[in-house]
Amino acid sequence: MNLPASETASRLITLLASLMLVFQLLLVVQRMLITNIRLFALQSLLLTAIAAVVAYAYGAWHLVVVVVLTFLGKVIFLPWLLTRLVRRIKIEQEVRPFVNMPASMLICGALTVLASVVVRPFTSLERLGSNTLAVALTLLLTGFFLMINRRKAITQVLALLTTENGVMLAAIALTTYGMPLVVEMAIFFDVVVGVMVLGLLVFRIRESFDSMDVSKLNELKG
Amino acid sequence: MLLTSILCVPLLVGLLCLIARPRVLLEALNIAGFAATLALGVRLVQAVLANHGATVTEWREFLRADALSAWMVLLISVVSLSTSLYAVHYFRRDLATGTLTARRVREFYVLTPIFATGMFLVVLANNLGVMWAAVEVTALSSVLLVALYNHKTSLEAAWKYVMLGSLGLVLALFGTICAYASAISPTGGETMPSFNWSSLLAMAPQLNPQLITLAFVFVLVGYGTKAGLAPMHTWLPDAHSEAPSPTSAMLSGVSLKIAVYALLRFHILTTACLGTWFSRHLLLGFGLFSMVLAGPFILTQKNLKRMLAYSSLEHVGLICVGVGLNSPLTVFGALLHMGYHALTKPVLFFAAGNIHQHYHTLDFRRIGGGVAHTLPVTALVLGVAAVAVSGLPPFGLFVSELLIVTGGFTSQQAWVSVVLLAALIAVFCGVLIKLSGLLLGPARPDHPREQMPGGHVVAMCLPLVALLVFSLWVPDSLRQLMEQAANIIRGTP
Repeated sequence: MNLPASETASRLITLLASLMLVFQLLLVVQRMLITNIRLFALQSLLLTAIAAVVAYAYGAWHLVVVVVLTFLGKVIFLPWLLTRLVRRIKIEQEVRPFVNMPASMLICGALTVLASVVVRPFTSLERLGSNTLAVALTLLLTGFFLMINRRKAITQVLALLTTENGVMLAAIALTTYGMPLVVEMAIFFDVVVGVMVLGLLVFRIRESFDSMDVSKLNELKG
Repeated sequence: MLLTSILCVPLLVGLLCLIARPRVLLEALNIAGFAATLALGVRLVQAVLANHGATVTEWREFLRADALSAWMVLLISVVSLSTSLYAVHYFRRDLATGTLTARRVREFYVLTPIFATGMFLVVLANNLGVMWAAVEVTALSSVLLVALYNHKTSLEAAWKYVMLGSLGLVLALFGTICAYASAISPTGGETMPSFNWSSLLAMAPQLNPQLITLAFVFVLVGYGTKAGLAPMHTWLPDAHSEAPSPTSAMLSGVSLKIAVYALLRFHILTTACLGTWFSRHLLLGFGLFSMVLAGPFILTQKNLKRMLAYSSLEHVGLICVGVGLNSPLTVFGALLHMGYHALTKPVLFFAAGNIHQHYHTLDFRRIGGGVAHTLPVTALVLGVAAVAVSGLPPFGLFVSELLIVTGGFTSQQAWVSVVLLAALIAVFCGVLIKLSGLLLGPARPDHPREQMPGGHVVAMCLPLVALLVFSLWVPDSLRQLMEQAANIIRGTP
């Protein structure tokens, strides 16, 4: 359903979306927490760029607000907040994940293929770019995998945020003009407040357990 | 301005509690606020009934209330009010024993009204995106309430709750976006369609069926996580057992049903677009699975509040089964069940809170038995409420369960009713065996009889009295309201 006049925009979106996927895979193999946060910031920057391209090429000017909010929130504020948290609790590196790096890479490759197969019946619904929906679903799935695979609370928060990036990408791919402004704003504020709540919890867990290794949270059963 | 004030009152209470100093003022503000919302809720019911099945809308249909929303508003107000009454003595005692600091108690009185505001917004918002955001607000505010005690176990419970809840909500957001996208193709993609539930419903036959299917599946898993449907229920027993008892009562009494409500809105939409087969069978399947799963966990449970949490799992499952059977009788039964459960479950958690505060544990074996000698009033209330929650007459849960089981038999789905009965019997045995062991038995000499202040006993018993009254007599207006809500769910207004 590519509009001929917007061919360039469509290609640009495809390119940016695939770069988002690349950053996601880098996140999966990277163990330094600070670098992970930076990778997430870059991924969010790409999402912002996609929204900006849509706003410019399709004249969807209300998306400009979304662009600004995403940029301020996900590229600047949240990474800053998380970096500060990492420095305060003085844990720099992820301990060994449950599945080692090469195997994680293979699993994520498999998830990417799976996502492209799953969305095949829905590709006719994509309104922007090609395979953007597949990328969105891959971000969702690999985000879940990242969440299961890592032990550090902060990495789990980052994984959650990347799944959210995936959903926002799907929103742009499926609807062109994004959602009504009030919804975009509500989602944005929920995400920001959510990360602040999570950060508070991470801090408290670190204080009580002397660690933020979530595999130590295993007392409640049955 | 009725709907706006229902939202503003608890929000204002939350903000005022942020600056109010004396503890008495915090307590009074909460109680007064929730009493006000209850009064407004009754007004809303009258307004909805007066227009004869019409809706109340405000701010250009941004807020919208029909019979189903009005029913949920009533439930939220009733549970919040009884919780705020019980919380007074509960937290005074925690303060006196030094279990909680004054700052944490204030946190409770600030977060609880915000939690309630989120729930009111879920049921009053017309825009599905705003509804999603409101569900997220309830999740975030209740996470901090679950972590209130700051014990290792409560932090663990809070972490599991927030992680699973957020994961579910990301999926629900994806589903919500799919539902929105399904409205784009019919409008040609040039103009932005409205995200309002009412306008999506009006154009339901033109919605893209593929996307609606996708939307319902994602929303079911997403909001299903928040509603505690099995197999996404694993956070539920942790959060319910580790939260302070007033919060457990709110979580179990209404918060789960709010997620079910969100699910129902999508169920109605899907039914209008694809016919009844698809979404109702999914609800039926998840509901039955939750019910069947609850039984064994209750029978082998070692912790009082975890047992109550699994009982909530069973009741949420039963509500979904009632909707899934989709006959007038069962949907009405499901709505009735929501109401009676909202009056019963808080009482159980209140009594469990008293036991927790006396014995400092919820472990059945460490409490031992003989609670009836140590805490006679609490034991009596717990026993009566347990009889009610197991579905014995004369309590209303018997009627609503009977309606759903009968409805299953009369709508040619007898196997559902057979499974239902088996699950209900398993839970019935489990709850009564566990509680008789706990309440009866010889007195423990190291735990002499403890006196409860009269006001606290009254606060604890109030929902139980209401349950008994409404079990014997359902006012005509409430019956009409539930019938209208059942018609909305079945798509036959």
